[in-house]
Amino acid sequence: MNTMELQEGIRDLNLTYLMLAQQMIKQDKFSAIFRLGLSEDIVDLIGGLTPAQIIKMASSNMLLCSFRFDENLLLNMVADYSKSRMMAQTHAAILMASQNVETVA
Amino acid sequence: MAIKTVIGETQQVKIASDLIEMGARLQLLQEETTLSRERLLKLYKEIRNESPSKGMLPYSTDWFISWLPNIHSSLFMSIYQFLVKNTGATEVQILISAYRLYLDQVQGIEGGEAVLSITRAWSLIRFFNAKMMQMVSCRECGGNFVAHTNELHVNYVCGICHPPARAGKTNARAKITSQQLNLAEHGI
Repeated sequence: MNTMELQEGIRDLNLTYLMLAQQMIKQDKFSAIFRLGLSEDIVDLIGGLTPAQIIKMASSNMLLCSFRFDENLLLNMVADYSKSRMMAQTHAAILMASQNVETVA
Repeated sequence: MAIKTVIGETQQVKIASDLIEMGARLQLLQEETTLSRERLLKLYKEIRNESPSKGMLPYSTDWFISWLPNIHSSLFMSIYQFLVKNTGATEVQILISAYRLYLDQVQGIEGGEAVLSITRAWSLIRFFNAKMMQMVSCRECGGNFVAHTNELHVNYVCGICHPPARAGKTNARAKITSQQLNLAEHGI
């Protein structure tokens, strides 16, 4: 994969992420806050972006979304496959819900 | 008591119908909306085509402590507290959103069924407000779980990190699994 392809991939992912996030926010803001793990301020901001702004934001060379799990949570999801899938996922959800949201400084 | 306006009443009807669709009992509706009992009854019959069930609500805090109910109620309560902390919504809106998210979480996994009903979820919130129950963090995974207040929680280990013997192996569950096995054997 050369640099051009890489950057194109990142831009695609950014665009998909922003559009999905915006759709989720428009559908149900409170669920979106939980699912995205973002603070209400950021959610309002993304929800209010115009299509042109979204395209501009997405065309950066950096990924806009970041990893939400700390090592404890990751370990739980990877290591717990001996338990039923339902339990592992529920466990991960319980741990994830007690995490803090991403906020604007 | 809210001042009665037409818009306000529409909002109340919306909240009530959301709750009824989720399976809420009449007591919950009376407590969480400002609509009269007669209107709620009528609404209930319109949505579910049957009269609401009568009798007292389940009132025991012990139900939330047994293994599977504890995991489900901890999941719901974590979502609920997350929303309380991070959104400025009203309590009843948070109840509806949190219960929807809980259902999505549980039903999104194959073989998952919602153990916690909306009425039970609501009672759980009331038990928390009355300080009869609290969240305790597990020593091993650090997750928060529902427990009685004022019990000894220093070395608390949750039901997922240390499932009790024979957990999840009740008759009903065994039946479902054997059915699934049969289906798999027959290549269906």
